[in-house]
Amino acid sequence: MSIVDHHAIDLSPRISEAGVADYVALLKPRVMSLVVFTALVGLVIAPGHFHPVLALTSILCIAVGGGAAGALNMWYEHDIDALMSRTTNRPIPRGRILPGEALAFGLTLAFFSVMTLGILVNWLAGGLLAFTIFFYVVIYTMWLKRWTAQNIVIGGAAGALPPVVAWAAAAGSLSPEPILLFLIIFLWTPPHFWALALFRTDDYQRANVPMLPNVAGPDATRLQILLYTILLVAVAASPWPLGYFDAIYGVTSLVLGAGMLWYAVRVYRYRTGSAALRATRGLFKFSILYLFALFAVLLAEVVVSAIARMMWS
Amino acid sequence: MRTGIVMDSKKPPEGIVLTPEQKKRQRERSIAIAVALGVMVLLFFAVTMVKGPIVLHRPL
Repeated sequence: MSIVDHHAIDLSPRISEAGVADYVALLKPRVMSLVVFTALVGLVIAPGHFHPVLALTSILCIAVGGGAAGALNMWYEHDIDALMSRTTNRPIPRGRILPGEALAFGLTLAFFSVMTLGILVNWLAGGLLAFTIFFYVVIYTMWLKRWTAQNIVIGGAAGALPPVVAWAAAAGSLSPEPILLFLIIFLWTPPHFWALALFRTDDYQRANVPMLPNVAGPDATRLQILLYTILLVAVAASPWPLGYFDAIYGVTSLVLGAGMLWYAVRVYRYRTGSAALRATRGLFKFSILYLFALFAVLLAEVVVSAIARMMWS
Repeated sequence: MRTGIVMDSKKPPEGIVLTPEQKKRQRERSIAIAVALGVMVLLFFAVTMVKGPIVLHRPL
């Protein structure tokens, strides 16, 4: 008689029924779309001529690297993903993909994206992409997220790096412009995620994730949102007077910034009931539009001036 | 008189038998891996063509 009852253990090998769509979901496609878009802007505004094939290679590597970071994040967080309504439908909590499979998938993509960018484009960009993945997975996901209420403030650096990686790919060096793009996304992250955390407090509480509203309370979070928004609007407009981006960008930045401030003030003022919920949801949605529009202006300016040059020559 | 082994056609196959759904998903995944590898080969080829002989210049 054996101590372990073998009948109680399922020894049959598990045959995966995960489809391509499940693996695509591991890449966090919505986050990836923002990564690709901000990287594209970093690439396009970088000085000098960059061959389209190398540009495509860079964007592809940054997208895959971002996806790898998403897959590794889902591997590590599958326990808390199962507890939150926002994440319960992810492939691992649903049982479509095993954590080990997600880990292998994420590591493979991370390795190939970094090596491909380094070999085919340059090692500054490859190194920065490796650092971005490391920062998101190890510093943010494994360390900060479950430890401090400042998790998304520091962790936001990972989400802010893609335009810097893209600039490094195109220019082969760094300069103040990509650092300004980095700062814009870095300062945009806290108001964006704290607005989400305000109307998802129960989710984070259930998962025992120390988001600011759960730790410091909703009122302190509202104040922090307002302060970060003021800082964001100032920093986002600064490239205009500093001479890095032109007046079209500057004016657009101020107009969009006024919108962000208006929503942040509403979040600060309306603290209870449906008005408070509307205000936080409004800020969350507008913050996405804000970042997209700000970067779209930079992209549009380069595209329009290129078309104008072609027409004149 | 004929001698030899007579195969039993009704004998169930040994080992793991995939369901039609599992087979379909496995095929999907295999195609996705093939496409990804194909894209990577094309990418390396295209960049080699773009860069030209400079790809051979790799100072340590």
